[in-house]
Amino acid sequence: MKALAFALLGLRRFFRERTNLFFVVLMPFLMIFMMGLMFGGTSQVRLGVSGATGEPLAARLVASLGADDDVEVVRVGSRDDLVSRVERGELHAGLAIPAGYDTTLRAGGRVTLQQITRPGDIAGLTAGALIASVVPKEAAPIKAAGFAAAQGAGTFDETYRAALGSAVPGLDVKVTTTGEAVMPHGAAGFGIWAPPLLLLYTFMTALIAGVGTVENRRLGVTRRAYSTPTSAGSIVLGETLGKLVITLAQGLTVMLGSALLFGVDWGSPPGAAALVVAFILVGAGAATLLGSLMRTEAQAVSVAVILGLGLGGLGGTAVPLESFSDTMRTVAHVTPHAWAYDAFTRLVRHGAGLADILPTVALLTAAAIALFTLGAWHMHRALTR
Amino acid sequence: MPVLEVDNITKLYGESVAVDTLSFTIDQGETYGLLGPNGAGKTTAISMIVGVLDRDAGQVRVGGRPHSPADRRSKALIGYVPQDLALYHDISARENLRFFTKLYGMSRAAAAREIERVLEAVGLADRADDAVRTYSGGMARRLNIAIGLLHRPKLLILDEPTVGVDPQSRNAILASVRELAGEGVAILYTTHYMEEAERLCDRIGILDGGRLRAEGTRRELVGLVGEHDQVVFKVEGDPAHAVPVLEAAPGVGRVQRVEGEDGEVVAFVADARAAMTELMAAVAAGGVAVRSVEVREPDLEAVFLHLTGRALRD
Ligand SMILES: Nc1ncnc2c1ncn2[C@@H]1O[C@H](COP(=O)(O)OP(=O)(O)O)[C@@H](O)[C@H]1O
Ligand SMILES: [Mg+2]
Repeated sequence: MKALAFALLGLRRFFRERTNLFFVVLMPFLMIFMMGLMFGGTSQVRLGVSGATGEPLAARLVASLGADDDVEVVRVGSRDDLVSRVERGELHAGLAIPAGYDTTLRAGGRVTLQQITRPGDIAGLTAGALIASVVPKEAAPIKAAGFAAAQGAGTFDETYRAALGSAVPGLDVKVTTTGEAVMPHGAAGFGIWAPPLLLLYTFMTALIAGVGTVENRRLGVTRRAYSTPTSAGSIVLGETLGKLVITLAQGLTVMLGSALLFGVDWGSPPGAAALVVAFILVGAGAATLLGSLMRTEAQAVSVAVILGLGLGGLGGTAVPLESFSDTMRTVAHVTPHAWAYDAFTRLVRHGAGLADILPTVALLTAAAIALFTLGAWHMHRALTR
Repeated sequence: MPVLEVDNITKLYGESVAVDTLSFTIDQGETYGLLGPNGAGKTTAISMIVGVLDRDAGQVRVGGRPHSPADRRSKALIGYVPQDLALYHDISARENLRFFTKLYGMSRAAAAREIERVLEAVGLADRADDAVRTYSGGMARRLNIAIGLLHRPKLLILDEPTVGVDPQSRNAILASVRELAGEGVAILYTTHYMEEAERLCDRIGILDGGRLRAEGTRRELVGLVGEHDQVVFKVEGDPAHAVPVLEAAPGVGRVQRVEGEDGEVVAFVADARAAMTELMAAVAAGGVAVRSVEVREPDLEAVFLHLTGRALRD
């Protein structure tokens, strides 16, 4: 296949340029780390605890805190360590259990727990709310046991066991949410930010590929290739194919890397992969058209950047689609970004699978084919006029 | 049967006609030259013939079959060497060549063989693995030609292949074109160098303003001028003054001012040597200050001047 000859040559020329190699390899890793820093582990609140966690009552408290699937409890050596790790953002919140926690409580004394959070950290607030709900529950049987023991009903251990076993009536709040939350996922609600960033990045990268096509036209190589028994379709397909492979590899690397290293949530892997591939195909189709329309590389670069940022912004990758008015949201769906964004929302927030987002994948693929065909047609025109 | 038949092809760019009802044919083993100054329409004509430019009217037949830009079968018969270098500069000659063998659908074995052959033919074998960007202008031109030879075309089309080339490369290029013609390849060669057309081409078409002004062998074309030598006078001041003086001189058939050449006037005479003494006397008597005199025997330059009233050189 002749398109392959173009693609292979394109790749060879691309990788011969050291700076390209640097960017191609570096960019995905930068993206992965960025995502790791921003969104890593956001499905779980990391709560640090320090102090006498080995004593039975303290151990129970810690276990209760960790009972929630959305909370990961991390044991930390000292209170100072806890503070510094919260400050660094490694932990969303900390709970310092003072020395002699068990002894003081058993003796009927009063213990003060210390909660450490950073200001403005949503995950920290969530952790605070958790602490505020767990601690009273733990305190109730301790208070009951202490009271009973003081009344001479037995030792603290006996009355505590009895208090735990008895169904003491009390107040519980069961929380249910209705309606669609703006950003409900996980305790932190950041999870949905990784896909838009990836969409913005991959579409831009794919579009930039169109610049190479303009260069080859300027060099006269494209026209010469058209003097050989090679169709305009093969030429434009070949021109884009090489860069498409690179963009795909980058996009999938970012997804896989951020998921494995930092636990960034992309939803169902086959669904997310199919979606990203279809989306990048649209970018490549647009690049084909761009490459056949522009006359100079400088022109192509500016249009690629303007289109990449413009479509990205309109498509909800800068400001979330959910905050758009209904009209704007409808308008936003002229961009592939908005369609992909919606599909990612379903994958990430609602646990949808590949089958559920197949219509979007099909739509994006169809758009890619349409753009490519238009590009090939226009390339033929551009070459023979 | 001609390998190439060009029938009334025409190209318009807006209001202006770049190529105007151009027709000619080329037989197997024949070298046809399109001779014309810059802007004559050579590249436009060639692009239509190769099939990288749509034509507004006319027909092109290659190997007896109608040819158009979408026609891949007849493109396989054509080797095209564009006027501007159409190469990747950041890879080697060999890699450029390998890429084009793929576009011509050549097998691996054939590609390897033909790449060595054309590298040898254009004298680039020893530099084949260096990046093209390190080549001299002449070397890059030779590679540009080599690409057109890869698939052993029946029809080789070269668009001013020697522009900006050192004399050594130029001779090598002309030699290999002649060799190919000897092997039976039909060649279409454009140039604005008269000597190249004279040295290389079996037949020559003179193109100016998009139109074919005359066509034939060198001898036939020179015949158009008549049996005339030219005596070219460079004069001081207004050459208009010299025209009537020369016209009145004995033995002078016709006098022409050369457009674009400062102060040049040409007197057409049957025999320049015989007429010279009397001509000089007439000029002196007429008060024309002569800076130099040059005798030209009829050549394509003279033919072009005769046909268009302008010098071929630009
Ligand atoms: N793409 C174009 N658009 C407009 N005019 C053109 C174009 N290409 C060539 N021309 C005009 O057509 C005429 C013939 O040009 P060209 O075929 O390049 O001449 P040559 O190759 O003999 O120097 C010139 O007047 C040129 O300006
Ligand atoms: Mg030209």
